[in-house]
Amino acid sequence: MFILIMEEVNQLAAAVKQKKSSSKRKKQEALWGLLFVSPFIIGFLIFMLGPMLFSFYGSLTNYNLTSKMDFIGFDNFTRMFTQDELFWKSLYNTGYYVLFNVPLTAVGSVLLAVLLNQRVRGMSVFRTIFYLPAILSGVAVYVLWMQMLSPTSGLINTVLAWVGVEGPAWLFNPEWTKPALILMKLWSVGGAMLLYLATLQNVPNQLYESAEIDGASAFKRFRHITLPLITPIIFYDVVTSTIGAFQIFQEAYVMTESGTNGPANSLLFYNLHMWNKAFVAFDMGYAMAMSMVLFVIVLGLTFVNLKLAPRWVHYGGGRNG
Amino acid sequence: MIENTASKQMDQVIPKQQHFKSRKRQQKLNRLITYLLLIGVSIVLLAPLFWMVFTSLKPMEEVVKLPPSFFPETLQWSNYTETIESFPFFKYAGNTLFITFFVVLGNVVSNSFIAYGFAKIEFPGKNLLFSLVLATMMIPSFVTMIPQYVLFTKIGWVGTYLPLIVPSFFGSAFNIFLMRQFYLSINDELIEAAQIDGANHLFVWSRLMVPLTKPALITIGITSFNGAWNDFLGPLLYIHDEDMYTLQIGLQTFQSQSSTQWNYLMAGATLVMIPTVLLFFFAQKYFIQGMDLTGGTKG
Amino acid sequence: MLTACGGGNEEASDNNAGTDGEKVSIEFWSFWGSGLRRDAIEEIIEDFNTSQDEIEVEYVYQPWGDIWTKSLASIAAGDPPDVIVQDINSVQQRAEAEQSTNIQEYIEQDGNEMESTFYPHLWETVFYEDNAYALPFNTDTQVLFYNKDAFEEAGLDPETPPATWEELEEYARALDVKDGNSWERIGFYPLWNLGADVWALNADNGVSWFDKEGNVKINTPKKVEALEWVLEWQDYYGPETINSYEAEFGNGVADPFISGLVGIRAQNINYYTNLLENAPEDFNFGVAPLPEYEEGSGNWSWGGGFVLEIPKGAENPEASYEFMKYLTSTEVQEKFGLNSFDIMANQEANTNLIEHPDLDEEGQMIYEMADRNLESTVITPVPLTAPDFSPLVNEQIDGAMLGNQSAQEALDAAQASVENLVEQNQ
Repeated sequence: MFILIMEEVNQLAAAVKQKKSSSKRKKQEALWGLLFVSPFIIGFLIFMLGPMLFSFYGSLTNYNLTSKMDFIGFDNFTRMFTQDELFWKSLYNTGYYVLFNVPLTAVGSVLLAVLLNQRVRGMSVFRTIFYLPAILSGVAVYVLWMQMLSPTSGLINTVLAWVGVEGPAWLFNPEWTKPALILMKLWSVGGAMLLYLATLQNVPNQLYESAEIDGASAFKRFRHITLPLITPIIFYDVVTSTIGAFQIFQEAYVMTESGTNGPANSLLFYNLHMWNKAFVAFDMGYAMAMSMVLFVIVLGLTFVNLKLAPRWVHYGGGRNG
Repeated sequence: MIENTASKQMDQVIPKQQHFKSRKRQQKLNRLITYLLLIGVSIVLLAPLFWMVFTSLKPMEEVVKLPPSFFPETLQWSNYTETIESFPFFKYAGNTLFITFFVVLGNVVSNSFIAYGFAKIEFPGKNLLFSLVLATMMIPSFVTMIPQYVLFTKIGWVGTYLPLIVPSFFGSAFNIFLMRQFYLSINDELIEAAQIDGANHLFVWSRLMVPLTKPALITIGITSFNGAWNDFLGPLLYIHDEDMYTLQIGLQTFQSQSSTQWNYLMAGATLVMIPTVLLFFFAQKYFIQGMDLTGGTKG
Repeated sequence: MLTACGGGNEEASDNNAGTDGEKVSIEFWSFWGSGLRRDAIEEIIEDFNTSQDEIEVEYVYQPWGDIWTKSLASIAAGDPPDVIVQDINSVQQRAEAEQSTNIQEYIEQDGNEMESTFYPHLWETVFYEDNAYALPFNTDTQVLFYNKDAFEEAGLDPETPPATWEELEEYARALDVKDGNSWERIGFYPLWNLGADVWALNADNGVSWFDKEGNVKINTPKKVEALEWVLEWQDYYGPETINSYEAEFGNGVADPFISGLVGIRAQNINYYTNLLENAPEDFNFGVAPLPEYEEGSGNWSWGGGFVLEIPKGAENPEASYEFMKYLTSTEVQEKFGLNSFDIMANQEANTNLIEHPDLDEEGQMIYEMADRNLESTVITPVPLTAPDFSPLVNEQIDGAMLGNQSAQEALDAAQASVENLVEQNQ
């Protein structure tokens, strides 16, 4: 993304040079553009910029929310990388979660959307059913899943027992806590599924029909018609769910009963560690430094995504993102 | 409706084919497989919800019985009446609806508007600004939570719904990004043609783009409804007056006093979920109509 | 704040319009949102408001846990409430961060009255650099609950509960009932509703992970022995049995102690309210102090509690202090205890409750037990040098419980980790 920014600066410079020769129309177009994005700019300046700059400066201080804010240079960062064991632990836990959660939910939601895009009767009911889990959120869902994941009386292990599998202890065993959470998140892929469905519905039916007539198999139709058309949304989904997955917090906070981090700290995610530093230890400066590191990590990944995008994302509008 | 027209179309196409009967059989088989898959997935997805609803109807003795029963043996409807009575349910529902209405309105209008600028208009500094949009997604919200709270205190908004509602009129990064992706897949020729006819961007956006992106708008509407309806930390931080509480806070309160009464907890969760279920069930019809519209213009 | 925007302010319709103008109004936040505690506190506030015409208290409920996030935000924004119920363990931490108001001058105005009001171990916790920053409100302590009927059945004397760890083990073996491979009654298991840290503290002369001077005392020989002892219990019953029972704890009706599946349990004394609610009327139980590690080592137990604090930046500290003083007065404390069965911070209130005519025999027994147990109860305030140390210790203990390392290895590793954290914060 920094390269994008650099390109932008060059363009701006070029624009300044060409200023004299630029047509009136171009100027007008630019004004329109600014008009359309102005709500974002205003909102950003009012609600985001201040807090963001504040966090940036805060990361270089020993800010404790109420009384201290002394400049300490990069102390927070050196501490983080060289001394804080739990920082690495939380990074590992979060990486593990992201690595499984992002691809699994992307594949899961595409498959569900394709299934819902079939033209059969009663689809409105199925659509509602598939979306239902995504509607539920908050503490109640986590409590529901804690019950479902109970090693002795939970639904999941009960069902596993029917097929002769002895289920794991899930939230009580450090090796199974993260898979348990990934499973729970997979259940509520409805939100992303909705996006895919909205795009799939835009695909003209004739395309499929003619392909079917040509004898293309279901898999081929998916591979050559559906998949290329939904790449912009896959791109969006992967980028945003990566960002989202890095910020997993509430699930772990509730399911470990208010931040006990799960057995052997196995659910100590990055944001949970940050929360503990900020609101348990009142070390907000350190938490802000952590958020800067997270920012850089996510920025890096997003940049990779953006750079890879032209290879596989196809825009119908004929313009590159 | 749509399914009917689709199958009618098919009927017209199919007789032209040589392998009429085998194709027909193939289609029947396909349909059967589709249904089996749909039903199978539905069962998996619904099981936890049924578990929730059934638990909400059980007396406590049955909830904790080992081995657990799936269907309730006795239906204890009083769980629901007691849940509703334990906090001002309808008042809180009204408050939540009020906030949610404006949040949805703000999100749908602002993000559609802003994203059009990012997707369809060339102006200097655009990529830079869009990088900024993406950047705002990457800062964990609770890092900016305290500075934001301080800001809202300074401008006197704490204790009102304004901190919950107003920001949604200035676009949200996730939704701007999403809308932009949708706009990018719409052909520019359409806009160019309209512009040759003398239409300006405001006209193109409101008359051409809004109808074309209906499914995306409804998607944003549904997800922001969901977000506002289920938001907990926002109302908690900014609302002081118990009369102004939302359902989620009411539910949380109720939970903390009956933490071991899972049946009540699940009754509360079910009640809070119902409006969203209804909304989605009805909205998805428009959803399909929206699709039809786009499909029509495109084809 | 602007009260004009609040629609249904019912108190506004009260008819004491005459004196309204001069009253100082203060806002009081707690997490008592419902049931007995809410009724009690509202009644108490009502009494306070009508008893004088200088201070008007407005009660604001905030959900448990989130109340502190919210109060922190409001303190940072400079617009806090006037009095908040806070965790007793972090008084010094908040004082250090200047989140709370120094109330030393008000206390000195009252002479020595305050010091003698509260249990000494609670009073200690409110001081930071020799100045008081809070008043204790209520507390708790860990005790043994035992099933008297089961005792009789097993041939044990229901009036002499186990006094040492050794006896506890003997009693548990006597209470155990095993049918083939499945347990019909578990005598005792130390980790249900209690952490290994409490047993460590009990063994190590009442010294928790940190001693009073702030030194890290995790891998002391006594604590290692305590963890080994806990591990023995786990081996004896087997993790599976323990897990399946654990799932049932806290289920109210199916509570294995109430249903007689467990003979003795170590638990917060507040568990009594649970028994009141869920146990049948003829349920015959007793309470006892946690046993001594060995004879004469002391019945060390662990407790927590809540304090009243004036956040930094509150506008009327004097009026707030008046109200706090009222809330900690013997009469009010007695009333709150009577309604909630909480153990109160005010010594006299608790001793009054031991003989209170409105309490039944069991209720009186609980207060007597509490009063006695508080003498050997330790409060473990958050160490200022490492406020967030506990995940480091828990991770190692979990590792030992899972059989990945010995007790000695676990506590050695925890000691090193916590020392490292202390060093980081210096």
